[in-house]
Amino acid sequence: MSDSTDQRPVNGLTRRQLLLAGAVGVAMGSGLLLVPKRLFRMPQHAETFVAKVADYQLDIADAITRGIRELGVRPEELRGKRILLKPNLVETASGAPHINTHPLVLRGAIEAFLRLGASAVMVAEGPGHRRDTLAVYEESGLADVLTEDRIPFHDLNYITGYDLPNAGRQSRLKTLTFPGLFQEVDWIVSVAKMKTHHWAGVTLSMKNLFGVMPGIYYGWPKNVLHHAGIENAILDINATLKPHFAIVDGIVGMEGDGPIMGDPKKVGVLVMGRNLAAVDATCCRIMGIDPYQVSYLERADNWLGPISERAIEQRGDLIASVRTNFNLIEAIPAHRGLRLT
Amino acid sequence: MSPSSLRKSVEAVLSRRLLSDGGMAGRLGGPLHIDSTAWGVLALRASGGAHEVIEQLCTVLVREQHGDGRVCMNRANPASFWPTPLAVLAWQDSIASQVAQSRAVHFLLSTTGVHFPKQPTDPSAHDPNLKGWPWIEDTHSWVEPTALGVMALRVAGHGQHDRVREALRMILDRQLPHGGWNVGNTLVFGRELYPMPESTGAALVGLAGEVDQKQVARSIDYLQGEVDRIRTPISLGWSLLGLSAWDRWPANGLALVERCLANQGRYGGYDTSSLCLVALGALAGDSNAYSPLIQRRHSRPTSVAAAS
Repeated sequence: MSDSTDQRPVNGLTRRQLLLAGAVGVAMGSGLLLVPKRLFRMPQHAETFVAKVADYQLDIADAITRGIRELGVRPEELRGKRILLKPNLVETASGAPHINTHPLVLRGAIEAFLRLGASAVMVAEGPGHRRDTLAVYEESGLADVLTEDRIPFHDLNYITGYDLPNAGRQSRLKTLTFPGLFQEVDWIVSVAKMKTHHWAGVTLSMKNLFGVMPGIYYGWPKNVLHHAGIENAILDINATLKPHFAIVDGIVGMEGDGPIMGDPKKVGVLVMGRNLAAVDATCCRIMGIDPYQVSYLERADNWLGPISERAIEQRGDLIASVRTNFNLIEAIPAHRGLRLT
Repeated sequence: MSPSSLRKSVEAVLSRRLLSDGGMAGRLGGPLHIDSTAWGVLALRASGGAHEVIEQLCTVLVREQHGDGRVCMNRANPASFWPTPLAVLAWQDSIASQVAQSRAVHFLLSTTGVHFPKQPTDPSAHDPNLKGWPWIEDTHSWVEPTALGVMALRVAGHGQHDRVREALRMILDRQLPHGGWNVGNTLVFGRELYPMPESTGAALVGLAGEVDQKQVARSIDYLQGEVDRIRTPISLGWSLLGLSAWDRWPANGLALVERCLANQGRYGGYDTSSLCLVALGALAGDSNAYSPLIQRRHSRPTSVAAAS
């Protein structure tokens, strides 16, 4: 599997970048500078880990533990640390558990981080579509799991925030307000769901971080971020928050009209990594989607992380062995042209 | 649980969340939350709480009000003005807060969400041009803040204002074809989205007494079908209020409230606003009692009436 022909990297630059580099030379000669800076960034490298996990009843904790180790996370990075897991809890509907990160993936992640020496693990979410966070927590089945495991859950929508300057500077937002709880933890882990998205193309570990922005400052839905531009806001949040790790639940994902009304898609994988852009690019390839066609990923390339297949060292199972094309809907503009050829 | 024991319980629970400076903590042991302070006034007023305590809470809301009338989650974040209608409701019947209430009313009447004409290619089905109120400045209008805006302006005597009449049309426009409301999206790319009890309850309170029951019958049916399985306070509180507003408060309402309160340990305790909301929903079961959200011509808060 590879990127589409015109996106394949050549000596660290894609063919399109090389063509544009030639064009910029001409442009400079004529006194024009029209080429975005991102095309001339230094190449980055990252590792991602793909684990085949056929269903939720298998040993997810073992798969995540293996992934964390194979990604080179050193024991001292986790020993005694406080880990915050941020799932993708959006809303619930009867017969649609594939909307949200599965509770057993969270249980597996909790067990893995504790096994690797974390002093505390908590789960926190600020759903974008529901005022009643506890209802999503309960109806998604997560409350049963966390109550049994005695793991705390925090409603990020209702936590007093602290401001950080917007390090991404893609939107007009000068500062971003994060929940105060984040000042008390060492690692923030995006535990996302593998889904298509009718506005953003895909929602994976980067888009999942919309849910950290408190509803009391961003609304329900997080409409401040929509007005700032969804893609701009995804980049701004990731650039400013700098999350530490990502786990994407692709055991059963969502295809078609995601993030809510789509259909379940059984893939049987977990995808992990320290770099969220690289994790999401790997997920895209598994979904049969070209990450260079997902606008916010293309803009993140070699800034927030690499998305070129050559720049991502693949560990665990091969992408080709788990790739299954997610259904895309032609009537949805954000889906057009996404298919990886 | 009897209504009288419920009233005592509400007072006792909220008294532990009162802060020394007169406001209400967002959580037990936590810092001041403006919305909790406003919800605290409403719950205490409905339960016959002490006039002095209610006035102290109102004074804190006045202290936190911005010069243009808005009341925000905190003073450093003036865009988060969604507690303003809650403050208007809280200040009703507080003689000392009338100037502040008038300023907040003026703010609401002169503020809208971001609105724009509907385009033929728009993937969302609702009419984005109908004005209501947003959660946050410079964003679109959504169901719950618009319903609260309607409740607040109606209580303050502006129920016939053009903004309220348009807001009622906006809420109706956001009703899902099969009944119920969510945050405010109906169909996107041709697919009808899912309803949510809390949004449905708020919308039904806002529309009560304003539209024919036939216009919301499917939504009432939806909520009646949902209420038995609701275990969490925001959904239950708004559902009970919404059903009460249409004389459908369920016979097992207090049992549902007891079950919800018994679940607190499971969730690490409820925040103050949620507790107040579920208390208001529980107290709304007495159709002869005063409800600060549901206008009933024959009821007034006894403590405030006596004081005034």
